[in-house]
Amino acid sequence: MHPIQTFDLTKRYGTRAAKSVLAVDRIAFAVAEGQVFGFLGPNGSGKTTTIGMLVGTIKPTSGRFRLFGASGPKGLMAARARVGATLETPNFYPYMSGRDNLRVAAAVKGVGRPRIDECLELVGLSDRAKHRFNTYSLGMKQRLALAATMLNDPELIILDEPANGLDPQGIREIREIIRILAERGKTIFLSSHLLAEVERTCSHVAIIRKGRIVTWGAVAEVVGEGSAVLLRAPDTEALAGAMEAYPDSTSVRRTDDGIVATLDSGDLASVTRYLSGQGVHLSHLAPYRPSLEEVFIDVTQGAVDSMTEIAS
Amino acid sequence: MKILSVLLRIEWLKAVKRRSFWVAVAAFAVFTALPAVERVRNAHSDPNAVFALPESWPDILGTAAGIGPLFVGVLMILLVAPEFSWRTARQNVIDGLSKERFYAGKVMLLAGLVLFFMATTVLIGVGGALLSPGAGGPGFVRSSDFGYMSGLALAMLVFGSAGLFLSALVRSSGSALGILFLYLFVEEGVARLMSGAGREALRSAAEFLPFNVVEDLGDDLAHYPEVLAEVNADRAERSLALLEFPDVEVLAVAALAYSAFLLGISLLNMRKRDL
Repeated sequence: MHPIQTFDLTKRYGTRAAKSVLAVDRIAFAVAEGQVFGFLGPNGSGKTTTIGMLVGTIKPTSGRFRLFGASGPKGLMAARARVGATLETPNFYPYMSGRDNLRVAAAVKGVGRPRIDECLELVGLSDRAKHRFNTYSLGMKQRLALAATMLNDPELIILDEPANGLDPQGIREIREIIRILAERGKTIFLSSHLLAEVERTCSHVAIIRKGRIVTWGAVAEVVGEGSAVLLRAPDTEALAGAMEAYPDSTSVRRTDDGIVATLDSGDLASVTRYLSGQGVHLSHLAPYRPSLEEVFIDVTQGAVDSMTEIAS
Repeated sequence: MKILSVLLRIEWLKAVKRRSFWVAVAAFAVFTALPAVERVRNAHSDPNAVFALPESWPDILGTAAGIGPLFVGVLMILLVAPEFSWRTARQNVIDGLSKERFYAGKVMLLAGLVLFFMATTVLIGVGGALLSPGAGGPGFVRSSDFGYMSGLALAMLVFGSAGLFLSALVRSSGSALGILFLYLFVEEGVARLMSGAGREALRSAAEFLPFNVVEDLGDDLAHYPEVLAEVNADRAERSLALLEFPDVEVLAVAALAYSAFLLGISLLNMRKRDL
C-alpha cells in the first residue's frame, strides 16, 4: 500500500480569475512504503501547499489524494494518526518548555509520557527539555519538531525543510536522525532546498515547478544515470556541433569538463563511429552521472529565468 | 467523552503555562477583592457595617461585573489569537486534531474561563464573609443572587465569544484587541444616538445592542427589583427620569443569541479558511 498517492491534486488561492494564484496544478505522484522521498522545487513552487493539503491544513480546490489508501474525511482522519509531520518552521508555544510542548502534542496524538522521554533522547534534547522553547537555537527547534513528529511512532514522516537555516553541524544531526528513521523502516517525505542533502538521503525524488511536477522517480532514474556521456576532443566546438546533429542525442551541453550529451540508446560504439566519420577524434568518452543539483537547475530553469526577468 | 477530556487537558496546559493568564486572574481578583477587603475592615470597626452573605452578593457581583466580562474577552484574545500567529493551531491540526475539535477546545476554554472567573468572585465573597463579624440573613444565596450570578456569567460569555470570534477572524491578538475596543467605543456612540432619537423603536433597539445587554446583565438593579424601586423612588423625589431595565429573561435570551451567533460564525470561518 502506498502511504501517499495524489491524483490531479490542485490548489488555487483566490476566486477571482484575474487575481487567483494556481499554487498547485494537477499534481500526481506516489510514495511507496519505506521510501525516503525528496520533494524539491524553487521557492513558491507549491511544495508547502502540497504538504498542507496532505496533512489537512489546506483544502484542495480539486483532485484528490490518498493516505494509506484512505481518501474520505473519516478515513483520512484515521490515516493521519499514522503520520507525523511538520510544516515550514517548527511551530510550538514559545512560552512553554520543550517537554510541555511535547506534552501538548502527545495529548493530541494519544501517547504517554514515557514516549516523550524516548523522543527527547533520540533527538538529543533531554538536557534542555525543561527550558522554554523561545530560548532554543534553530537547530534545537528543528530537533524538537522531529521529536514531536515521532511521538506516535508514525509510519509516514513528512518533513518540510527540516534543515532550513541550520549550520553544517545541525544539518548533519538532522541527516543522522533521518537516516536512523529510514533504517527503522519509516517512510519519509522530505521537502528541501539542500539538493546535495536530498541526493545523499533520498531514494526517490519529485521536482515541482510552478505548481506542476516536472519529474519524479528513483533518484538514479531522475538524474538519468546510464544515458548521459561525457566527451572530450581537441576541438570542443566541432565536438559540440557534431553531437548536436547526432540523431540519438536528446540534449547537449557544455561543462567545464567537456561536452555532456544525453543519449536515447546509450550505444557508445555508435557514437565513436559517428564522430570519427565527422572528423572529430575523441580524447575521452565515459558514462556521466549528473548531480541532482544539475538536474534540478536544468528542469527548473524556466522558473529561474522568469524570476530573473521579474527581478530585472 | 475521551476527546473532551483530552481537549480540556490541552487547553488547561496551554493556559496555565501562560503568564498573561495569571496576570489577568490576579488583576481581576485584586480588583474584585479590594472593595471586599475594605468592607471587611469596616465591619470590624463599625458594628453597623455588616459584611455578610447573602446580603453582600450584590456588592461583590457588582464589582466583578465592572471588569469581569471585559477581562474574559481580552483573555480569550490573548490565549487564542496567538495560536494562529505562532501557527500552533496548524500544528495541532497536523498532529491529529480536526479543525472542529481544535475549535471545540477553544469553546471549552471559554466555558472554563467563565467558570474560573465566577469561582474567583464567589470565593472572594465567601472569604470576605467568613472573615467578617456578624451574620447575614437565612440562606447562602437567594434566588435573585443566583439570577445575578447567572447574568454575570452570561455577560462574560458574550465578551468571551466576541474574543473568540475576533481571534478566529483576524488571527492577530493586537488587531483583535484593537477591533474589540473600537467596537465598544463605536457601540456606545451608536447607542447614545439611538437612545436620543425620537422613535420608541430605536430607543428599545438600543437596549439590545450587545454591549448594552452585557451592561444590563451586570447591573444589580436589573436583578433586584426592590433595590430598583428604592432607587427610582429617590430619583422621583429629585425629579429625575426613572430607570428601566428589560426583563432579565429577555436579556439572557439576547445574550445567548449573541453568543451563539458569534460562536457559529467563528466555527464556519474556522472550517472554511486554511490554516
